[in-house]
Amino acid sequence: MATTTPTQAHGQGKDVHGHGGHDHDHAHVPGLQHHFNTPEQQKEAATLGMWAFLITELMLFGGIFMAYIVYRWGFPVHFVDAATHLNTPLATLNTVVLLVSSLTVALSVHAAENGKMRRVLLLFGATIMLGFGFLGIKGYEYAEKFAHCNGYSTPIAWATGTGQHAVDECLVPGRAFLYPESHGATHGGEPAPAAPTTAGAPTPYQLFFLLYFMATGLHAIHMVIGITVMSVIGWMTWRGKFSPAYFNPIEIGGLYWHLIDIVWVFLFPLFYLI
Amino acid sequence: MADTTHSASHGNSHGVAHGDAPHGHIGLRTYTFTFIGLLGLMFLTVGAWWVEKNVLAIPEWLGVTIAMAIASAKTFLIVYYFMHLKISSRLVQIFASLAFVFLAILFIIVMGDYFARGWPPQQGPLP
Repeated sequence: MATTTPTQAHGQGKDVHGHGGHDHDHAHVPGLQHHFNTPEQQKEAATLGMWAFLITELMLFGGIFMAYIVYRWGFPVHFVDAATHLNTPLATLNTVVLLVSSLTVALSVHAAENGKMRRVLLLFGATIMLGFGFLGIKGYEYAEKFAHCNGYSTPIAWATGTGQHAVDECLVPGRAFLYPESHGATHGGEPAPAAPTTAGAPTPYQLFFLLYFMATGLHAIHMVIGITVMSVIGWMTWRGKFSPAYFNPIEIGGLYWHLIDIVWVFLFPLFYLI
Repeated sequence: MADTTHSASHGNSHGVAHGDAPHGHIGLRTYTFTFIGLLGLMFLTVGAWWVEKNVLAIPEWLGVTIAMAIASAKTFLIVYYFMHLKISSRLVQIFASLAFVFLAILFIIVMGDYFARGWPPQQGPLP
């Protein structure tokens, strides 16, 4: 310990606040817990445990996909017509945002392998920004639906309180749900069934939007968790906790982020592209 | 011969520790190509949807099949390269595949029950 005087430049550069009170015992592999024999074994355990958790996550989303299959099988024409009311261009943009964020996560793991911790921090920052971007676009889509329920055409008009008109559609499930007149969208030669004229009528249209809000809402919650996880691991990186010999949190945090991406890969065609 | 029995008796973890798995490496080129592939598949699925809506009316089952095939291809790219399944141990690979087996069990058993009782509801009573 006598060699670690405060005046000594430590070379890591990050530890300027003097929190580095750890014993830098270089006889050990950094980050190796005592109950593991080798770093490989520790990494294997972490990866396997994360995958076991990811399976339970997939089963959670599986329930929503299950409900989707049942009701789309039952009411295919209603579903095709209802999907025309979703904002596909924005969802496509969101898909690009999410794919880029998956790339930045994959690159950050690659940078950690090579000990480029500054680059890890930059890529984590980009990932978190892209995550917020995704949530912002998603939030705008939700705001559109809620604005319509309040008689405004766009969320901006709603926020500024300009141009309120009679409510002609409300696609948020509940008592106010009002499906608009079909705008001539036919699919496979079959005209869409007549829209109900009473608000809150329990129709398959309402079922579609219930599933839409449930599925994308649960996905958005996972994005919030993912952003939190990335922030914490980014903080740990900044504190200099990781090295090319030990970066398991970066690796398994990345796995979680990719899972969110996979869920969206299926949500996107099932809701927006039908 | 002695080598085979040795590694077999120690199971998978031994093979991982000395095999190429932990030192397995996915390069920047692979990540870039994976990303380009994902973007390409995304534009393909949106393009297929646009064609289906505006140019050529194809049966719905075919449209769904195309969309799901593209989504599965994207999932494979993400899982295999981004999630490092390519360089993971056999046990992790089995775990990852199990997720999809469990989902298939869920879907097949539940839909089997629905079909046995008469689904869609327009075609018969659902008790």
